[in-house]
Amino acid sequence: MSKFNISFVSKFPVSVVLSAVLVIGSLSLFFSKGLNYGVDFRGGAEIQVAFEKETQLEELRSSLDANKFDSSSVQRIGSESQNEFLVKVASNEANLNQVTDQITKMLQKDFSDKGSEILKTDIVGPKAGEQLRISGFQAMAWALLMIMIYIALRFDYKYSPGAIVALLHDVIIIVGIFSLLGKEFSLQIVGALLAVIGYSVNDTVVVYDRVREHEEKYSSRTLKEQINGALNETLTRTILTSITTLIVAGVMYFMGGGIIQDFFFAICIGVIVGTYSSIFVAAPTVLFFDKITGKKGDAA
Amino acid sequence: MNRSWWYRFSLLLFLSIVAIMAVIPTFFGFDPEKSEFPVKSKINLGLDLQGGLYMVLGIDFNKVYRDEVKNYIKKVEKTLADEGIGSQIGELSVIDPEDPKHTLTLSNVGQLEAATDKIDEFYSFPLRLVGSEGTTLTYALGREFKEDIEDNAVKKSIEVIRNRIDEFGVTEPEIVSLGEDRIVVQLPGVKDIERAKDLIGKTAKLSFRIVNEEVNPATLQTWMETSEKDGLVYKRGQRFSEYALQMNQKFKDEIPNGFELVFKKILNPGNNEVEQLIPYVVESTPSVTGEEIQDAVVRIDPQDNQPYVGITFKSQGAKLFEQVTGDNIGKRLAIILDNNVYSDPVIQSRIGGGNAQITLGQGNYNDLLKEARDLSLVLRAGALPVELEFQEQRIVGPSLGADSIEKAETAGLIGAFIVLLFIIIYYKISGVLAIKALALNVIFVLACLVGLEATLTLPGIAGIVLTVGMAIDGNIIIFERIKEELAIGTPAREAVATGFSRAFWTILDANLTTAVAGLMLLNFGTGPIRGFAVTLLIGIACTVYTSYFVSRLYFEFYMARNGGKKVSI
Repeated sequence: MSKFNISFVSKFPVSVVLSAVLVIGSLSLFFSKGLNYGVDFRGGAEIQVAFEKETQLEELRSSLDANKFDSSSVQRIGSESQNEFLVKVASNEANLNQVTDQITKMLQKDFSDKGSEILKTDIVGPKAGEQLRISGFQAMAWALLMIMIYIALRFDYKYSPGAIVALLHDVIIIVGIFSLLGKEFSLQIVGALLAVIGYSVNDTVVVYDRVREHEEKYSSRTLKEQINGALNETLTRTILTSITTLIVAGVMYFMGGGIIQDFFFAICIGVIVGTYSSIFVAAPTVLFFDKITGKKGDAA
Repeated sequence: MNRSWWYRFSLLLFLSIVAIMAVIPTFFGFDPEKSEFPVKSKINLGLDLQGGLYMVLGIDFNKVYRDEVKNYIKKVEKTLADEGIGSQIGELSVIDPEDPKHTLTLSNVGQLEAATDKIDEFYSFPLRLVGSEGTTLTYALGREFKEDIEDNAVKKSIEVIRNRIDEFGVTEPEIVSLGEDRIVVQLPGVKDIERAKDLIGKTAKLSFRIVNEEVNPATLQTWMETSEKDGLVYKRGQRFSEYALQMNQKFKDEIPNGFELVFKKILNPGNNEVEQLIPYVVESTPSVTGEEIQDAVVRIDPQDNQPYVGITFKSQGAKLFEQVTGDNIGKRLAIILDNNVYSDPVIQSRIGGGNAQITLGQGNYNDLLKEARDLSLVLRAGALPVELEFQEQRIVGPSLGADSIEKAETAGLIGAFIVLLFIIIYYKISGVLAIKALALNVIFVLACLVGLEATLTLPGIAGIVLTVGMAIDGNIIIFERIKEELAIGTPAREAVATGFSRAFWTILDANLTTAVAGLMLLNFGTGPIRGFAVTLLIGIACTVYTSYFVSRLYFEFYMARNGGKKVSI
């Protein structure tokens, strides 16, 4: 009894190919170009400096060179008028512990007339970088496992792989986009990925819930028909929720300020990809698993 | 309205009042301590929002083992020498970095048995014999001793750090363990990372040194005056060790051989800055070090009801201490922690049996008790030599934090406003009901943060904002259900009832799966990410309550008002 009667199932072959291309593309980007790891994972020092008066990137760079920060890099944050910069010092710099001190002295010496202020400093030793990488990976792996178990218990084992495939799909594509754009991949982005996992699984579960209902209500229909009906019935909700979440995430992205901009960039992508995957990835996977397990059943 | 409705309504009313009370101090920013208002706590802002220093310190156990085994071999050599057994300290082998070994070569093969017996008598706990070849003995650390180090290193280091931080008067420092070999130190408001690192990074080294009483107080006074006249004074922010070194160099001709100048800091109780320095001339090599201490506790003397510190020495320490005190009766014994004189009791008599008492002089009972407690902590905590390695250091300037809050708040409000508009246009009166539930949701989340004394970080704000986006989902699910029911001709009242009951499990399942992700984040995440997980989880709990139970309450009221004939959705 839905307002919509779209044949989603007939479009599955196209969506599966599209998703496969996106996932493979993301993975190959990840393995070839890699990620621009932030200081959290890479180790090293990152110092955010702001100047009251106009300062050029080159001035800061030459001053760093003169002070023998050989393996350092500088980039501008925000607009030209903000005069904010991010100085990165690689982790192989032996004197990582004194970096703050040295940069402070350098700023006082070379930029005394420009009113410099250190806004933020992050120094991560190589050991901590490794630990942060591991804990980020662990959090993600455990979240996926627990979600899989939950869905298998509350729904049916055939639903579990679909949810997990959809989540992996979302995470991989976001990682791919971060790799493509060369955006910094930090601890916060791992947090955003987990938020996306939460959002996307929410979406998928709502669809599953309706499929489950259809399985009971229209038991004479095929699983394909049941899934298609459920997708149509939940479509309004799927779109509405995506819009409201996107509104908030989008506003935060544009106005939330430098630090959380990338976080909400990941969320925005995740909401779009997550919405798509709950319809076009999770559902076909359920069909697929039903098919292969069903065949086994026939043979026995 | 039936009785059940009134019960649920009373609960909502009660929760709302509690929640609003809880967030009032945070929003109006008055000082709750001074007012009559019953709620005293505000939302704690994380370091990223209020500015400050965040550090992760790691303990390098392998290095601790190396130091310990070296240390003990040195002690063994000394003990053997006292017994007339000559020996030569050999080499450290780190083939197995987790179990370093050290050799010791005896001068006389005939004393092999006597030597191993002696070592067994005094050092069977810290050392274990792993090899013997001719006159060369190889020792590694005792297994239980190593376990002891592992069990206590983090705990004791935290005590040491807290003690040092307290001494410098940082408000609300947070020092907690992270796993088995790491410590997180958070110092709100602290910007000077180098100074803070100086403060906590170095190993607490405790020693007992005899004061040279031949250098009389008048001479010391002159030294202080001369150096001050020459411009050699301890400046605020300067490394204290640097000052001490300069002073020792300046007076190196006057200081007797084998002695050095150390200082006792008198802090201004108001601002905790160094107010006065009292110089001491003490022996350069300590008679007894902190490692010899077994335990130190506060005791009360039953005769005059005065608190004192009772020290128990380990077996070899007891012997050393007895000898040292016996030789120096009437002299002062300086208790030095990290090159600062902490206390300087006069040795009254030879102290045998491994138990010593440090009395604290006259004074107010509570002050003395506090001093005794501090001293016992120093003695106990200083007894473990652990070097801490800086694994992470993060500083956020105060202006950045304020700027972040402002931007995130503005963006959050604008985002929420657009969502409100959208929902009201789409769902009309039902939309207004949803918005009411949503507003309550945000207040509940903030109240939970106050109640749980959780810390709000920037990712935490992101979590709340995200909750707003997702909380509306519960209402959308319900409303779409009701619409579906209405579309097949179900009467309004029934449609609402069915919509709610059908949507319940959907909402619960959807939120619980999200909660699973949040829990994993809380469990494995570090630092600010945990802040995000906390608000996300609180948000989910509040969302289920407000978007389902509260909305239902509103709807039942709304349906009763219009007689259940129609629903604007």
